[in-house]
Amino acid sequence: MPETHSPPPATPHAMKRRDLLRGGALLAASVPAAGLLSACSPNRVAPAAGRPVRGGVLRVGVSGGSAKDTLDPHNPLSYPDQARVVNLYEPLFHHDAAYRLKPFLAESLEPSKDGRTWLLRLRAGVEFHNGKTLDARDVIATLRRIVDPKAPTAGATSLSVVDAGRLRRVDATTVEIPLKHPYALLKDLLAQYSLGIVPEDFDLRKPVGTGPFAYKSFAPGDRSAFTRFDGYWRRPAHLDELHIIDFPDDTAKINSLLSAQIHAIDNLPPAYIDMIEKQGGQVLISETGSWNPITMRVDTPPFKDVRVRQAFRLIVDRPQMVKQVLGGQGRVGNDLYAPFDVAYNSDLPQRHQDLGRARSLLKAAGQENLTVELVTSGGIGSGAIEAAQLFAQQAKGAGVKVKVRITDSATFYGDRYLSWPFAQDYWFTRNYLPQVDAGSLKTSPYNETHWNDAEFNTLMDRARRESDASKRNELLKAAQRTEYDRGGHIIWGFKNQVDAYAANVTGFTANRNLPLSNYEFRNVSVSG
Amino acid sequence: MSRSAAEAAAVPATIMSRRREARPAVRAWTRWLLRRIGLALITLWLISLLVFAATHFLGDPARAILGRSATPERLAALRTELGLDRSAVRQYVSWLGGVLTGDFGTSLATKGPVSALIGGKIVNSTVLVAVSAVIIAPVSAVIALVSARRRDSATDNVLQVALLTTAALPEFVIGILLVTLFSTVVLTWLPSVAVSWTGSPWTDPVVMILPVATLALAVVPYVARILRASLIEVLESDYVDMARLKGVPEWSAVARHALGNAVVPAIQVMALQLAWLAGGVVVVESLFLYPGIGTALVDAVRNRDVPVIQALALLIAAVYVVVNLIADVLTILVTPKLRTGVR
Repeated sequence: MPETHSPPPATPHAMKRRDLLRGGALLAASVPAAGLLSACSPNRVAPAAGRPVRGGVLRVGVSGGSAKDTLDPHNPLSYPDQARVVNLYEPLFHHDAAYRLKPFLAESLEPSKDGRTWLLRLRAGVEFHNGKTLDARDVIATLRRIVDPKAPTAGATSLSVVDAGRLRRVDATTVEIPLKHPYALLKDLLAQYSLGIVPEDFDLRKPVGTGPFAYKSFAPGDRSAFTRFDGYWRRPAHLDELHIIDFPDDTAKINSLLSAQIHAIDNLPPAYIDMIEKQGGQVLISETGSWNPITMRVDTPPFKDVRVRQAFRLIVDRPQMVKQVLGGQGRVGNDLYAPFDVAYNSDLPQRHQDLGRARSLLKAAGQENLTVELVTSGGIGSGAIEAAQLFAQQAKGAGVKVKVRITDSATFYGDRYLSWPFAQDYWFTRNYLPQVDAGSLKTSPYNETHWNDAEFNTLMDRARRESDASKRNELLKAAQRTEYDRGGHIIWGFKNQVDAYAANVTGFTANRNLPLSNYEFRNVSVSG
Repeated sequence: MSRSAAEAAAVPATIMSRRREARPAVRAWTRWLLRRIGLALITLWLISLLVFAATHFLGDPARAILGRSATPERLAALRTELGLDRSAVRQYVSWLGGVLTGDFGTSLATKGPVSALIGGKIVNSTVLVAVSAVIIAPVSAVIALVSARRRDSATDNVLQVALLTTAALPEFVIGILLVTLFSTVVLTWLPSVAVSWTGSPWTDPVVMILPVATLALAVVPYVARILRASLIEVLESDYVDMARLKGVPEWSAVARHALGNAVVPAIQVMALQLAWLAGGVVVVESLFLYPGIGTALVDAVRNRDVPVIQALALLIAAVYVVVNLIADVLTILVTPKLRTGVR
């Protein structure tokens, strides 16, 4: 992790956002200029100097959370769960701030020639919070806990390729991982925040991990406290303590930041950015790969006809969607997901609204004056209903009548979920292969578009077994082309992550993973 | 209440000598009380039917709970866990049996008993409502007294306009205004959420100020206005005039002759407002993140935690019924004509 901290506030704020749009300055520090802080603001605190302050308590307000909250390393459900899990436990690999795959508790992972057996080497001398040293036994016990058939956790499906019964400890820092069938991207599978390594004798009542903060107290649906772990394998955190408070309500969350009761909040609605800055707070904007697609079922009329799907992809005015639905906090999509994957196919031309071509495609398909129902729900996530309504307006330009049907969450995710002909869904950042596994295969649990294309399936099957990275990427790019040409997703944009923190806090940097710098508070410090 | 009052007026009990009618009056009073308690129990039973029906027959709770992850196997497993595979009548009977023995079932969110989940929250909400009530009663009384004594004066007019304006604002608007004024935009004196770093919010009086003030501002206008109206009526009545003519000092005329009679409508309106607080506290609690039954209810609805929703809905309804019953009893006790006259 970079140890550099925010430079003195010299860059005007507007430039910060422009940099961000260019994408180049993703990791640039996000500190608004002191000169822009409203002079009459009562919350104004002298901008913190570049040097981190040791000690202090950081109080973080995290969205959501309920009586269902858990400290289980392998079953985080809500944002507060994620924030706790990330600070207590660490996986073998992880995605860095730019979503590049990096070793974490592992040092390396190498396949055998046939790709069926992998050799994992652990970082030596890593300690758990209770002083025990990380051993290969702990890794084996953890992987078995994750896929335990009696109590499968959230990560069980993605690790189903691992033959857990035949895991073998070679020595204290080496594990042999046999697979049920060859799989080239095992590292990516292991790089999930919900796959943290825990000791062999893990007890949820006294949770122990290797993370930078150790467990102190936990009240579900309310708050939790953690102390700095001084035996941490990297530089320990600056803070003495970390408090995480659940905020089911956005208003209360923003108010408590403004009233200086807490230091940082995640998921700030974009409409509040200016207000927070006027009040002397700082806003952290990160590009992400989260997407909110409109889904067309490729096996049901009228979308069975590929020309109708192509027409609908030409109907959407992407920049307008980003501007109105995301409040400008996002970037346009090109009907492809996994934008941070090294194999992302950026050679395909960006689609733009073309109502004339959309009309002629619909005419050719015999679908002039088409009327369709678009099913949406507030339960899909913020902005879903607005996106549906805006799409309906844009469709009028091509002579298509889109009736927006707003359902409650229970109906949307009820009997007919995954069989709506024309609906929406929500996905977080993923790389290409894991995303395909989750939603674009006949066997995927969430294949909303019923995508089952012979050419695509063959390409994916070959890619999965291909151990040569550049050959694999070519196959994945070809697979993306089939989706770009014939797929059922309308991917109009990717959402920015927007968080906020107080003027006396330093150390937050943009991050493509979870909110608030992936909830990594090790580099954060509080002054005053 | 109005019916018993009318009945009481019809009975010429007051003409009888006190000694001779004391025993039948007590008996009549007991009978009246028992009848009221019986009616309250029937009301509660009907509410339990309604709550059960609302949570069970408006959609499949198992499907609502599972949402996106509803596979047929998980649905079947959850239906068995919730006992949804039994007939509706049997489900209701076993639920009601549990409620009567103090067992509200198992929370779907925590997998622990509902009572453990909501016990502490009930205490927190009770403290919030009690502190608010303790402030509301004297503040309303003072405002009403000042207004009634200086009727139609400038002070009275200003107070009336202020009360009407506040009464017209919903409690969440009042709450947001208070937060904007005192904790975020204008001043930053007070905490905007009732999160205490030491323990329960009420161990930390500073965090209680805004939630209590919001509840007080939402309720004081009603109580003060009703109390003012009844005080004015009493102060203009013949017996207060008589007292004044006899030379009783004004403060004594108010305190000894007027207040006692003006307090009856105040009890009724206070009771209604307290009952409202039990439910209205939901909005205020979630605005201030106060860990009481309000936030617990919102949380339970979000989690589709049916047993918790049932317990809290029943509890809030029970508070409503019980508070009204207590108010009626108090009214009878402070009104001699009613106290002696009930049949």
